[in-house]
Amino acid sequence: MLVELTVNGESRSANVPPETTLLKMLREHLGLTGAKLGCDVGDCGTCTVIVDGVSVNSCLMLAGRADGCDVTTIEGLATADDLHPLQQKFEEHGALQCGFCGPGMLISAKNLLDNNPDPSVFEVRDALAGNLCRCTGYTKIIEAVIEAGEMMSQEPANV
Amino acid sequence: MATRIKDVQTNVEDLVKAREARAPSRQPLAVPIDQPVTFPLELPESEARLRTPAVGQRATRPDGRLHGLGQTQYIDDITFPHMLHAKILRSEYAHARIVSIDTSEAEKMPGVIATLTGAEVPENSFGPTYQDQPILAYPIARHRGDGVAAVAATTEQFALDALEKIKVEYEPLPAVYDPLEALEEDSPKVHGDTNIYTSKVIKRGDVEAGLAASDHVFERRFSTQMVEHVPLEPHATIASWDGNGRVSIWSSLGRFTLGREDLARTLQMPQSRIRLIGTVVGGNFGGKNEITNEPIVALLSKKSRRPVKAIYSRGDEFVSSTIRHPFIMDYTTGVDSEGRILARKIRLVLDGGAYCSWTGTTIGKGSILAPGPYNIENVLVEAYAVYTNKTTTGAMRGFGAPQVCFAYESQMDDIADALGIDPLEIRLRNGFSENSLSPTGQSLQSVALKESLTQAADRFRWKEWQA
Ligand code: FES
Ligand code: FES
Repeated sequence: MLVELTVNGESRSANVPPETTLLKMLREHLGLTGAKLGCDVGDCGTCTVIVDGVSVNSCLMLAGRADGCDVTTIEGLATADDLHPLQQKFEEHGALQCGFCGPGMLISAKNLLDNNPDPSVFEVRDALAGNLCRCTGYTKIIEAVIEAGEMMSQEPANV
Repeated sequence: MATRIKDVQTNVEDLVKAREARAPSRQPLAVPIDQPVTFPLELPESEARLRTPAVGQRATRPDGRLHGLGQTQYIDDITFPHMLHAKILRSEYAHARIVSIDTSEAEKMPGVIATLTGAEVPENSFGPTYQDQPILAYPIARHRGDGVAAVAATTEQFALDALEKIKVEYEPLPAVYDPLEALEEDSPKVHGDTNIYTSKVIKRGDVEAGLAASDHVFERRFSTQMVEHVPLEPHATIASWDGNGRVSIWSSLGRFTLGREDLARTLQMPQSRIRLIGTVVGGNFGGKNEITNEPIVALLSKKSRRPVKAIYSRGDEFVSSTIRHPFIMDYTTGVDSEGRILARKIRLVLDGGAYCSWTGTTIGKGSILAPGPYNIENVLVEAYAVYTNKTTTGAMRGFGAPQVCFAYESQMDDIADALGIDPLEIRLRNGFSENSLSPTGQSLQSVALKESLTQAADRFRWKEWQA
């Protein structure tokens, strides 16, 4: 079936078998390997992308259901000029170790900050509850998200 | 899983609504997606990398930027033209003799290019200590996670469909699941004629005399459970067998040199013809310290003449990759009236699962650390690792150290409680200091145990909490 999406601002389409998940379509048909497959059952969050303003586990969403939607993946976070504040802060804090959870974690964090630029620690934890990390213990991730939020409210032009 | 799928469907309805409500003027990002953004990789040199001591300073990772950009390449992010996907069929029984395996129907399935069974593996055994583990079980399967056959097909879905067509005839054998039962003489045997496959004794002083001289003797059994590492990146392998009879293997393996030896052994070819490529590993924690599916994928590539990729499902990870050893720990500790430990007698039983893996290291470290960081004149540790028909236990952060720590620290609390001594105080009375001797007679240097304890207690205001 033909699926047409807007991905990171560009129109993309692919002919995919009907059982194809959005994650598989992004990774295997569109070459966007940033979102990862960690469990394939909606438990880990490594496959998180933003679909029409809502962060979803793309392993659980059929590509066909996303037809016509606007999708943001980790590849769309940085602009040609600069890293996204979240990417800067994650790097500075050493918030990622093996990095496998990173793309999903950053996308969930972006979706949070887009809606709530000044979140409390509790709100950050809540927004990232669906993203597992086995390496870091989360502390630095949470610090990085809070600081990125501060940075974004100071320089809104950057976002 | 059913509820989750329903959740998502509800979410999708919300998505549709959100899409309709979306302002048409949303700003697109200015980056063409076929050319991912790249940024220079010279990161600001952190102080910690330039100065010693580094303790207390913030360090940045050289690979942190690519992680954040989503551009770090893990194995599943690599593809090759004509690449096939492999899936492994696992045993239906915890213990069974495989009478026959018929792959002919599976081979007729759409997209299937090659199948593999244990009988086709040149040397069907591997392991970091004992080579007691098959690549694909044959003729005996010893736990439910044992692979019995594999398929390579043009898509993962075709490979999964074909697995269902493989006919395996089993003759179920009696199985043993409890490590204490496995110690009994008439228990079903997993390998050979005893389930004990390694043991260790550590002896210092005279433990019976020490216990006899004690004012109080505390006895208790502690046990810990299985733990899976759950690296977020599942075990992943790509193999490509070339026309000259050499094989290239991309692997998420941690212990690389050892892995290459195991590959040479199982494939029965010289190491010089095996090119093992280590990729970025998406979490290891000890679970990727030995080969798993690498020889299967290599042999499927040899048979199909195409590159083959195999990614473990999360289910494969739990049943088939190694896990942490559950310990059953019997502690008998004698103390004087002041809570000073005079003797400690410990029996450890390690549930080893179906194969040895890194048990040798685990039993060693677990035994040495079992008495705890305390000055004890009379110590006896007896440890046994036993086979059971369960998931293989292997390396995991600490190699047995966390299990025994749980036991000895719990018992310290029991003793403190019974004698009405402050839990911090009882540890300070018994704890190691400079030049203390470990249970194996090593003189310990740079011991900051008591200083660390007191400082930590001050910091979290232990005294106030006690009041
Ligand atoms: S891969 Fe989608 S939640 Fe784990
Ligand atoms: S950094 Fe490894 S899982 Fe998060």
